Amino acid sequence: MRWLWSRLPGPAPAKVLQMLLIVVVGLVALFFLFEWAGGLLDSGGVISG
Amino acid sequence: MGWGLVSASLLVLAFLGYQLFITDLLNDRVQAEARAELDAELAERREALPEAAVATVELPEPEPEPAKPIPTTTTVPRADFQPESAGEEGSTLGRLTIPAIEVDEVMFAGVSTETLKMGPGHMPWTPVPGQPGNAVVSGHRTTYGRPFYDLDQLEPGDRIEVETAIGEHVFEIREIFVVKPTDVWVTEEKAGAWLTLTSCHPHFSAAERLIVQAELVRGPNFAYAQLLARQGLGDEKRT
Repeated sequence: MRWLWSRLPGPAPAKVLQMLLIVVVGLVALFFLFEWAGGLLDSGGVISG
Repeated sequence: MGWGLVSASLLVLAFLGYQLFITDLLNDRVQAEARAELDAELAERREALPEAAVATVELPEPEPEPAKPIPTTTTVPRADFQPESAGEEGSTLGRLTIPAIEVDEVMFAGVSTETLKMGPGHMPWTPVPGQPGNAVVSGHRTTYGRPFYDLDQLEPGDRIEVETAIGEHVFEIREIFVVKPTDVWVTEEKAGAWLTLTSCHPHFSAAERLIVQAELVRGPNFAYAQLLARQGLGDEKRT
């Protein structure tokens, strides 16, 4: 986190906003990754050709 | 290296936590809401149903035997038949109960990913449970409330109860087996009225499908289904 913070451009408030954006994008990406991987565990049992 | 392993471990833990607990919580909320509205939903669907019809089953033409006189009248079996169709994708269809494994779930129309997150879903191209033919219902095995987690514990003879807008249908399990996810033949037409449950197999894998097939033994269309079964007919020969 400290490593990322030191590399973000701009003053502290701008860095906070950028950090928030990174966290939100990261969580959304994680959600889709989990949903995709969840389908490998249990797809709902549908039979399809 | 050390931080990488810790991050990977946290990611796996978060994934398992999400799949095994968070999806259950999401499903619990949807099921609770659906259960609270189930009676009203079924009453609404009941009002939109067509009148019960007396249906007939086509019998093959009797072949006259030379030694016997040709019958002058033919008795055509008749039975009450109450048709019912499913609503649009994601709408409430009824209640699925399997007493042997303590399953009590609200069932929905459709088998899209989003619908199956809410509960067991009915394949729209198959008849509604309790109707002649082979009604197919799919459900999650290990995530989203895992309604079919213990499906492999069932045995032939166990009962499955389905409540829809036209009443309660009781099915008796005849067969339990495992197939590939592409074995669509399990959804094909069957003589009489059947219910086929499908779920992933084994636990924590979508590699195969666990199939439970049950035959209607009681319900509004039982007599009609029996007539069809006697003739070897399913949904496609309804007249």
